[in-house]
Amino acid sequence: MAHDVSDEVQAVLDRWTAKGRRVFDELMEDAGSELQRELVQRAVLAGHSPGEVHAFGDELRALSDDECYLACTLDDDAPEGYTVAQLLRAEADPLFAFELKGGTLSPNEADDQLSAPLPVQRREVVEAPVDRALAADPVRRAREQRHGFHAESSTPRQPVPARPALGAEGPPPPSGALRTPLAGGGRLLEDLLAEATRTLGVSWREVELDVPGGPTMEAGLQQVAQALQRGIPVAGVIGNAQGKPLRPLVVLQVSTAGANRAFQLYEPFSQALVWANERDLVTKGELPFDDKSLRRLLRVVLPTGRGL
Amino acid sequence: MAASRPSPAAPFANRELNGEQLLDELAELRNAQVSQKQLDDLARALKDLEGRRVSEVTTRLKALASNRYAGQPALGSLLVRWSTKLKSELDVPLLLGHLERLALVSAMLSATRRGADRFPRGGR
Repeated sequence: MAHDVSDEVQAVLDRWTAKGRRVFDELMEDAGSELQRELVQRAVLAGHSPGEVHAFGDELRALSDDECYLACTLDDDAPEGYTVAQLLRAEADPLFAFELKGGTLSPNEADDQLSAPLPVQRREVVEAPVDRALAADPVRRAREQRHGFHAESSTPRQPVPARPALGAEGPPPPSGALRTPLAGGGRLLEDLLAEATRTLGVSWREVELDVPGGPTMEAGLQQVAQALQRGIPVAGVIGNAQGKPLRPLVVLQVSTAGANRAFQLYEPFSQALVWANERDLVTKGELPFDDKSLRRLLRVVLPTGRGL
Repeated sequence: MAASRPSPAAPFANRELNGEQLLDELAELRNAQVSQKQLDDLARALKDLEGRRVSEVTTRLKALASNRYAGQPALGSLLVRWSTKLKSELDVPLLLGHLERLALVSAMLSATRRGADRFPRGGR
């Protein structure tokens, strides 16, 4: 879905690859508020790579507007130690401010490999975009409710430690930090699910089924059924052979009739929704998707905690 | 003759309540630009309604629709629509579970979209 962006932002996006622009569209679509969209656009405008912007957008999503504002502006912490250059740059580059205040990002390098190098250098000091009316600028609106900074200093300030994640027991997994190559036993969805459901208080554990050291298909499906009966859908990975995952899926429901149990599987990319008999899953019978390469359930990502 | 076992109202006994119907509702909310944050907020707000009577849940859902989600008509009308289908206490946990699953499934689908590039051909 296309989003209204300023000409300046569009000019930068035009230099990104289609994949980078798709990531940007998704970030805009998934952003929780106008303020978050504005901050993401300013990060683009400041010349950050698609991977950095992606990681930044992921971090913002779990924050309220007030928390976003605090995380991405230096105002409230002045006047103790920021340089004028830092203050000015932070004004236009929220990602710079976010990191200066101790926020950490782990950009997915794959995002950047997919994008053409930016011909422009990142600006060291830039002014905030001036082509937007104050009333339509969510950052300025947020600022109006707070005290502005009013001092300058020449000595660098020690970074402020990042806030603990909302509802998380420990620090949040940095976006992209666990991104692993597909081959081998790397986790494909666990970290993404953890990030996406952090505010709902659900944590996850990804397990490969029917491999040495892993649960059997029967045991895995039993745990899937238990999770569904507690009201928590389960993610999974399907493919054509062990070690060859092809697509993610979501197990939406379980239905029991007598001794038979069936699971409802949703494959989001083809939007196929099917019921699969447990016996077929256990005996590695073909899954009832039209795409016959999607033959087997290879992994499940089980909920391990819930705090809602 | 033995008394028949109480059962949920038809909309809550529907096998596709948390399947096809849930996906249809998610598509509707997505088209209306309802954000994940709003769905998460709703899921948290619903925790207060567990164990409440039908009349109270109906009133609270309508209040949420007309106050907190007044600016989000798609979400508001979904709440009003469901609140009118509540018939007995059996329906309450089924509805609350359904609305909570909306938030969870939405977040999970968002996560799978973000993970697409970890799969061959972007998962396609």
